[in-house]
Amino acid sequence: MRMQCLDTKFFTSSTSLAPIQLPSRMETHLWYVIPNEVKSEQLLNKYLEFLPKSEKEHVFSLRGDELQKGALLARALVRTTIARYQINQVSPRSLKFRKNIHGKPEVDWQQIEDWHPQQLHFNISHTKSLVACGVSTHNPIGIDIEEKERKIKHSISSFAKRYFSQQEVQLLCSISDPEIQRQEFIKLWTLKEAYVKALGRGFSGSPFQTLTIRSVADSKESFHLSESSSFENSDIVVESLEDSANLTGDWQFALLELVGSHYAAICLRKDCANKCSHPMKMSVWRTIPLVEDEYVSGTDSVIAVGGLM
Amino acid sequence: MASSTIAASSISFTSLTLNNKGLAKNSVSLSINGKSFPSLRLQAASRRFRVSCAAKPETVDKVCEIVRKQLAIQPDVAVTGDSKFAALGADSLDTVEIVMGLEEEFGISVEEESAQTIATVQDAADLIENLVEKKGSA
Repeated sequence: MRMQCLDTKFFTSSTSLAPIQLPSRMETHLWYVIPNEVKSEQLLNKYLEFLPKSEKEHVFSLRGDELQKGALLARALVRTTIARYQINQVSPRSLKFRKNIHGKPEVDWQQIEDWHPQQLHFNISHTKSLVACGVSTHNPIGIDIEEKERKIKHSISSFAKRYFSQQEVQLLCSISDPEIQRQEFIKLWTLKEAYVKALGRGFSGSPFQTLTIRSVADSKESFHLSESSSFENSDIVVESLEDSANLTGDWQFALLELVGSHYAAICLRKDCANKCSHPMKMSVWRTIPLVEDEYVSGTDSVIAVGGLM
Repeated sequence: MASSTIAASSISFTSLTLNNKGLAKNSVSLSINGKSFPSLRLQAASRRFRVSCAAKPETVDKVCEIVRKQLAIQPDVAVTGDSKFAALGADSLDTVEIVMGLEEEFGISVEEESAQTIATVQDAADLIENLVEKKGSA
């Protein structure tokens, strides 16, 4: 079943796992679940059956029903989604995961005999009200979602000075409206988090402060960009204080608003062959695993903020 | 002679407890040459060495309070020294806000590397007392 070629809403109801096609190179897929839409105990128990003992234990170690449900949905989402991309050659239950040397989760394909899948990368992020999973092939991906209305208890500037680059601090502190400042802070935080997660090195292994992420629109006003003619206003660019080709120019960012309530940042490593900046091609689905998918790209559920085609 | 014996063995013991997080913090015992010393003497010399590396209950309680507020924990969910931040639903932003809250409350400054090592309420409380003590003796 191919669903990304349709312009209109497309529902598919199925109690089994409908297979899906992998994204092409430089394309990303984003799947999300709205916990409030999953109410059936029976369904949640089915999801539980997909989890190995260790993951079940982890879910139940969380304090509170809401947290447990969120964690369960995250595991169910990642397992069913990856299984579907393998056109049901593997079951959600049989998938094995491991962590790379820095602690980033990845699929452990060696555990499954006679199966040599294409390179698939994924990353999960969730809040109290949304669970999301980003998927790409060939290129590491990191995603982060945050509630738009999230209140920050401490001053934005103290946060910024601690974690952001000088240029970003300057930009944030120059915003006089506290509400807009808070929103811009959250956008920037999600972008940085997505980058850290794509790198897969953990917080301390990532150059949070020496990396500047900003939209070209902001840059054109306050900073001089040498290649500004090749960028669109909505592009998101990355600059590093360190002259390391390893870090800059290799990562592509996109930022969007999801279901009107969340900011979602996606960070993707660029192909070696494709160093120039392209907006990211992305397909987004709202889903309830085992029940339905809804292709939502181009609808009000997905509003591009920057970096997207 | 007794006091110098205590001092000599206490120095090595102190370095052990501060660096080794794996030690069971509540079951510290101090015995020198097979004899265990009465607690009275240990308390008197407590400024020179730390017998127990577990943070004071008041510190743990304060941390619990700050964590509860930041994560908006339901009243029926217990928060204790053993509570893991991740299990309470703290994401990276929450963890940073908690650390900032602790810095404000205790007048300390937490380095990023140290902040990364905090997994439980107890970890945070121990780190705080460590930093407060360093600040006091500086």
